[in-house]
Amino acid sequence: MKEKRTLMDIVWRVVLYAWSLTIIFPLIWVIYESLKSNPEFFKDIWALPSELRWQNYSKAWNQYGFGQSLLNTLYYVGGSLVLGIFFTTINAYALTRMQFKGRKLIWGLIMLSLFLPGINALVPQYVIMRELSLTNSLTGLILLSSLGESVFYLMLLGGFMSSLPMELEESATMDGATLFQKFWRVIVPLSTPGIVTVGVFKFLGFYNNFLAPFIYLSDPKKYPIAVQMYSANKQMEFTADWVTLFAGVTIAMVPSIIIYILFQKLLMEGATMGAVKG
Amino acid sequence: MSDSTIVTTPKAPVRKRLGLDKANTQKWIFLIIAIVPPFGGYLLFTLFPNILSVYYALLNWDGFTDATFVGLSNFATAFQDKYVWRALTHNLIFMITVPFFVIIISLLLAYLITNKTYKENKFLKVLFFFPNVLSTVVVALLWAFIYDGSYGLLNGILKFIGIDTGNFYWLGNESTALVSIIPAWVWGGVGLYVIIFANAMLGIPKSLYEAAILEGAGHMTRLFKITMPLVTPIIRVSALFLVVGTMKGFEIILIMTNGGPYGSTDVIGLYMFNLAFGIEYRNYGYASAVGMILFVILVTAKLLIDKFVPNKGYEY
Repeated sequence: MKEKRTLMDIVWRVVLYAWSLTIIFPLIWVIYESLKSNPEFFKDIWALPSELRWQNYSKAWNQYGFGQSLLNTLYYVGGSLVLGIFFTTINAYALTRMQFKGRKLIWGLIMLSLFLPGINALVPQYVIMRELSLTNSLTGLILLSSLGESVFYLMLLGGFMSSLPMELEESATMDGATLFQKFWRVIVPLSTPGIVTVGVFKFLGFYNNFLAPFIYLSDPKKYPIAVQMYSANKQMEFTADWVTLFAGVTIAMVPSIIIYILFQKLLMEGATMGAVKG
Repeated sequence: MSDSTIVTTPKAPVRKRLGLDKANTQKWIFLIIAIVPPFGGYLLFTLFPNILSVYYALLNWDGFTDATFVGLSNFATAFQDKYVWRALTHNLIFMITVPFFVIIISLLLAYLITNKTYKENKFLKVLFFFPNVLSTVVVALLWAFIYDGSYGLLNGILKFIGIDTGNFYWLGNESTALVSIIPAWVWGGVGLYVIIFANAMLGIPKSLYEAAILEGAGHMTRLFKITMPLVTPIIRVSALFLVVGTMKGFEIILIMTNGGPYGSTDVIGLYMFNLAFGIEYRNYGYASAVGMILFVILVTAKLLIDKFVPNKGYEY
């Protein structure tokens, strides 16, 4: 049914475009300014640059040690992803599709996490990490980030897995498959869409994680990109090197943009699921 | 590997029992791998610290030298601490404004992209969600650039349309810093709720609207008699999330102002964070007591919202 356009439609469109502008405009602005020189930027934030200074990007890359922090990020995000996805998947399988003693108790304790805001646990958590000599270590951060329970992921994956017919597993057992083979050859392939969703959410969570690396890493050489950008902004207060910082922020956004372009549909579906069930 | 197990499929009764034992052992090894690391991590890094924080709140401890047990005196101090009350006031402001604006803006945008047939709606939905994939650091820095006095986007725009603010530092001024953080926080949160509300609205059966149109209901009637009542349960859950999230959130403030200038944007989470991890003072005991107060407030808020905000679901 084609609706006829009225005056109100113009108003509504303006509303939609206005919000779009608040998103697009600051992003374009940062990229735009990142291609100027500092004097040009200081003189007039609107004026066109006399030439496009792509060298700001190589300067940002070197000055903020992006090479090192990219390696740190890769190690932290990669390690947490591999461990986290493996344990979340196998854990969801055990908790939703296997029967064993203590299963109810474990579920109950996990559900308790919905009531725990977590913020009051920051200090004791730090002390525990320190006692285990896991502070100031990216490996320690990986363990902290990947070992744990999340109701959101359990619901997401558990929902997927419990929709798979039990006969599949039974016939695999009949064929003599061990439990591990059953998990690896039957459950994992069939749950792939759910696992990918978990992976994308975990990736964004780890890549964007600021607080934990900020608390636990004292050596700037170990900073991942998010914390590195924070300290770059702190440095900028003394150097007033704006354009380089703009270039740095742009670089830091690139992985988020790529992930978003690749997985936006999946992210939007997953986000709704988390809100409704979590 | 699978071939060998297929070959050893037990046939004789004795071997069958052996096979069952083997299957049982396998099950336990599997369970240990599947449960112990994640659940152990959860006990160690989440549950145990939560219990420990109750004990820490009763200590006078800088985290390094020996702790002394001081009973409830940390709480007594906290209740008389004017910084705690100041922070809680700021929390209250954020807790009301941020969820309010997020929900109003998201509802409006969600309604427009689901009920209007503009061809750009699909693209807009994708665009609106984008800020949600950015890290808090990037969001906070973007808005810090916007608010900068000398070179910020906001002052630039104001100047462009003829309002000269004279290099006014929005985040550097006690009277404007708090209010300036609100848009940044709202901006970072709206996208998710647009998607949530839009999906809820798309879930409403078309037949309801068609019936209403047949009976002569206008746009407004349909909006307030059909759409709104049917998405109310989702709004309620979202409000709960937002209120609790805003109450405990402090990352964006930490990055934008770190509570300044002169504590004018300090919130309780940030105050606790700086008590524990700040440069000037380290007081794990007191920080934990403040954390416990926040814990109580959050759990109470959750229960209150659950109890008093009407939870009326509609069936269709």
